Amino acid sequence: MADFKKVEPDLSFIRGVMDSGGETVNRCYQCATCSVVCPLSNPDRPFPRKEMLWAQWGLASKVSGDVDVWLCHQCGDCTAYCPRGARPGDVLAGIRNNAIKYYASPKGLADIMSRPTGVVAIIIFFILVVLGEIFLLGHPFIPKGEVDYEKVLTVLPIDAVFMPLAIFVVIVALKGVFEFWHDISAGAKLPQSYTGTYPRPKLGDLICDYGWKSIIEILKHDRFKKCGQTAERAKGHLWLLWSFIILFFVTNYVFIGADIFGMHVPLSMFHPVKILANIGAVMLIAGVLMVKAMRDQKTKEGVLSSATPDWILIYLILAVGVTGLGAEILRLLNIAVIAYPVYYLHLGCVAALFLAVPYTKFGHLVYRTTAYIFQRWSDEIRAGRNGFAKKMTLDH
Amino acid sequence: MSKKKGLYIYTGDGISEVIDIDKLVELASGDLGVDVVKTHDDLYSPSGVEMVKKDIESEELQAVIIAGVSPRIEYKQFDFPGIIVERVNLREFVVWSNPTPGEGDDAEKFKEHVQELAEDYIRMAVAKVDKAQLPDPYKPETVNQRILVIGGGVTGLTAALEAAEVGHEVTIIEREPQLGGFAAKLRKQIPVGPDYSSLIDPIVGDLIAKVQANDKITVKTSTEVARIAGVPGEYRVSLKEAGTKSEWDAPVPLTDEEKVDENGKELSAEELHKKYEEKNEGRRHYMEVDPNAEIYGAVVVASGWKPYIPKEGEYPHLAWGNPNVITNVQYEELAKAGKIKRPSDGKEVKSVAFIQSPGGKEDDADFPYASAVTSLVALKQAKYLREDQPEDGKAYVIYQHMRTPGQYEYFYKGIQDDPGIFLTKGAVTEVKDNGSGGLTVYVENTILGDDISIDVDLVVLATGMVPTTKDEAVINLAYRQGPSFKDLDLFGGYCDSNFICFPYETRRTGIYAAGGVHRSMTIEEAMEDAAGAALKAIQCLVAAEEGHAVHPRTWDFDYPDFYFQRCTQCKRCTEECPFGALDDDEKGTPKPNPTRCRRCGTCMGACPERIIGFKDYNIDIVGSMIKAIEVPDDDDEKLRMIIFACENDAYPALDMAASKGLSWSRLPRIIPVRCLGSVNVAWIKDAMSSGMDGCLLLGCKFGDDYQCHFIKGSELCNRRMENVAETLNSLGMEPERVKLEQVAIDDYDRVPQIINDFVEEIIGLGPNPFKGW
Repeated sequence: MADFKKVEPDLSFIRGVMDSGGETVNRCYQCATCSVVCPLSNPDRPFPRKEMLWAQWGLASKVSGDVDVWLCHQCGDCTAYCPRGARPGDVLAGIRNNAIKYYASPKGLADIMSRPTGVVAIIIFFILVVLGEIFLLGHPFIPKGEVDYEKVLTVLPIDAVFMPLAIFVVIVALKGVFEFWHDISAGAKLPQSYTGTYPRPKLGDLICDYGWKSIIEILKHDRFKKCGQTAERAKGHLWLLWSFIILFFVTNYVFIGADIFGMHVPLSMFHPVKILANIGAVMLIAGVLMVKAMRDQKTKEGVLSSATPDWILIYLILAVGVTGLGAEILRLLNIAVIAYPVYYLHLGCVAALFLAVPYTKFGHLVYRTTAYIFQRWSDEIRAGRNGFAKKMTLDH
Repeated sequence: MSKKKGLYIYTGDGISEVIDIDKLVELASGDLGVDVVKTHDDLYSPSGVEMVKKDIESEELQAVIIAGVSPRIEYKQFDFPGIIVERVNLREFVVWSNPTPGEGDDAEKFKEHVQELAEDYIRMAVAKVDKAQLPDPYKPETVNQRILVIGGGVTGLTAALEAAEVGHEVTIIEREPQLGGFAAKLRKQIPVGPDYSSLIDPIVGDLIAKVQANDKITVKTSTEVARIAGVPGEYRVSLKEAGTKSEWDAPVPLTDEEKVDENGKELSAEELHKKYEEKNEGRRHYMEVDPNAEIYGAVVVASGWKPYIPKEGEYPHLAWGNPNVITNVQYEELAKAGKIKRPSDGKEVKSVAFIQSPGGKEDDADFPYASAVTSLVALKQAKYLREDQPEDGKAYVIYQHMRTPGQYEYFYKGIQDDPGIFLTKGAVTEVKDNGSGGLTVYVENTILGDDISIDVDLVVLATGMVPTTKDEAVINLAYRQGPSFKDLDLFGGYCDSNFICFPYETRRTGIYAAGGVHRSMTIEEAMEDAAGAALKAIQCLVAAEEGHAVHPRTWDFDYPDFYFQRCTQCKRCTEECPFGALDDDEKGTPKPNPTRCRRCGTCMGACPERIIGFKDYNIDIVGSMIKAIEVPDDDDEKLRMIIFACENDAYPALDMAASKGLSWSRLPRIIPVRCLGSVNVAWIKDAMSSGMDGCLLLGCKFGDDYQCHFIKGSELCNRRMENVAETLNSLGMEPERVKLEQVAIDDYDRVPQIINDFVEEIIGLGPNPFKGW
């Protein structure tokens, strides 16, 4: 007797995919041209043919627990060759957006963050939090004299907001990653233990063997560059990635320096870290503009289409970059009336960008990296080089 | 009877390089007594045609022989009214098929053989034109222009409108009390035009309105055909109220089983007659004339289809018998009545599984009588559920084949766009009551990658459309061969004579099929089909008026002639005619109906008395052609065989083989025949008695996948060959000397080998022992 899986299509999932970039999902009639032309597809488990059907059938858990959707960089080769205009590349983007929602908790936040008005509300919320702090500290909102943001808020009260936010984000993201890891283990049909668990890599292996190699690959954008129709998109994305790394570094430098060692901020314009920070800010704006320009161009060429989640992320990053650099320039120009409001706006945008990690398309940062690592790991398992079997031989 | 004739030899295309033209001219103008013999290196050009034309006028020629390319090409030139024209295939059959001496062939001998071949073909042509006569077309006194349409559904309505539009009066008869047929029972229908993406309201109402507004169309509802007697151009149709009996109901002949007693012994003529009378008690004789019959020229059969309803106990694995397992037609009724409700308890249906193929994992065939239509209907009906339950309705289509041909691909695409319609290929292995009012469907080998089970409220089986001609005569012909179409079991009951070659022709000339009787088709396809059948019916009337045959011999103004004084009433012709063209009288003397005839010559081949023939194709003409062939008495290297090649398939295959430079033996001579069915045993006797060593018959495939233009010809010929074998045996000759081979038109690569193998076999048998007698 065959092992029958009870199927109950989730109509809201299908509508979700259709609303977030995959409105053509139902056009697919399973010819598998997409899987043949895809430069990244895995010959053993080709995609995106199967994902198209699963999405049509509203098999939410099956689609979300499918690692392959994250190995796609939406190059659009499949979309260009699809004989039926089903646009698999765009559908996979929609599936990814929904998968992020699927693993996010609480789901309500993901719903809010999936709408432009929701994101604006979040930004306003954080601005109000910051203004509330200033009010409680008894500082004026726009102090007189030379512009100095320390006059309204020192590093400490800012961190009082951002630290818990960061911790919350990390917890939500980690929860999502763990669930994701379990689901993709099941989806990849990895061998299960008798208690129903899947093999997990040791932390050391995870970092040294799989994580490190994956991160190097990501930093070089090797796979993104293989993309046929839209390989040019890799450049802007690479700039953006590196700018985030730079900004992550300088933010932490300032955070640790100021909070723990009482370093004076803002740093001098000639401080090496400040120079690096400014380079990072310029790269961020340039990178996101390049991404936007390429997206526009590729949309015009018809190989890619963009949905709300794409634009939310692009404009949010752009807002963070422009307000950040703007706040700095306005401070140097000493135009207090505009400088302080821009600074508050910047803080609101940054907070929203933090929250974007587990709840919006920004989550691809987490899930795609996880998928890369998982792919290396599961290949080893499948090849019998790791997992339960290896553990057993070690025990004996 | 010698005619004044001219021979014109084409010398281009390499003909003069292989054949000694001078010798040929010498033969023709000398021994053969041809009055004018000329050559031309560009005979088919206007100058060549002009040359022949001038000769006809100045020399008062009665017949012209054009020796050059195959008669199948350049056939439009040399068409002179009142002149018999015969074409000799020198290029393909003599020159191109013998480009160079084969390996080990002596060059001199090769030349000699090829020359003899060419000379024989000229001799045969001369013999033929000497005997042939010009056709004298049969033109009935009146050809009634009215068209009868049987069936008032979409097909019938369309056929009537199409015929009325070009001026014909039409009568539609419909068995039901109202017009519309099945199309009037639909909630919505599959689109009939761009953009094809969504369901449309049934269009049949418009058609009915148009028909009712058309003063050339008469509608008779609740009416059936009792009998159709007569011939194309003058059918006498007796009508009756649907479901009643009538004295004019067409009599039904005895079946083969009824013709024997319980021991399998054939009944005597009297017993047969008695049995026949009993069987047809209360019915008038088929030849009797109903004075009240209506006259029509041609008939379109559009009686449609009936839904296939599985028998009790059929498809147990699909839970057939459970009230919630229904056919697509039953589902259509539910949908037409309003929101779809579950038959078992009246609950609104939220989920439906449409099962397209019943065979589980063993067999991926769809239901009987299903086709692309059932795929399209499943898509349409899936949409019904979504119309009723737009929020949470779920329609599953489980198929082995999703057939959406042509523009219907857009329909498929449009339906698929609905997020509540789920499609997968898969094998439905079981349907079970799930205990909570619904059903669970188990599907294996899905393209989802898993074996799945689905809970649904309703299961719909994509059962097919059974043609009405499967179980009923429908046309009720008062013909000698009986009231129904013949051998429809070959096509599963579909009313068809050859779907690919002759889509509308039935085996009864003047009666054309369209729509659901023809194959299962959509409304759009049925309308197109109806237009085709209406045109065919009109063409048939024109053919009757002008006195030529219908497809496939539309150029033929001749018709078979019977020399009744010598008829022995053996009934072979009346029984063997594939088209039921011959009726008979009380004694069994055949009564020809030329407008029913398709001029295949099967009657001529069947006749043991050799009394049936055509003006330019008869026992004597072909016999004379055979006798015209020079058969050397004492040369073992020059055995001679005759090949009768069907001119529809085998002959073109030979032409093609030659044009591709393929060679075959130079010993046989080829005579084209209209159909192997027209080959009379007399010709084989003629060949053998004139010293020929073998006889090969190349005809179309017969049997279930027959390719015969005249349906039964090659099969009948094959049956006659058994008698020939007996005759040869009695003469002390090997029966292997006569052989029938089936050749398809695309068998050009095979046909030279078939000939060579036969020649080898004959050489092995040695010369005809009666040679030289």
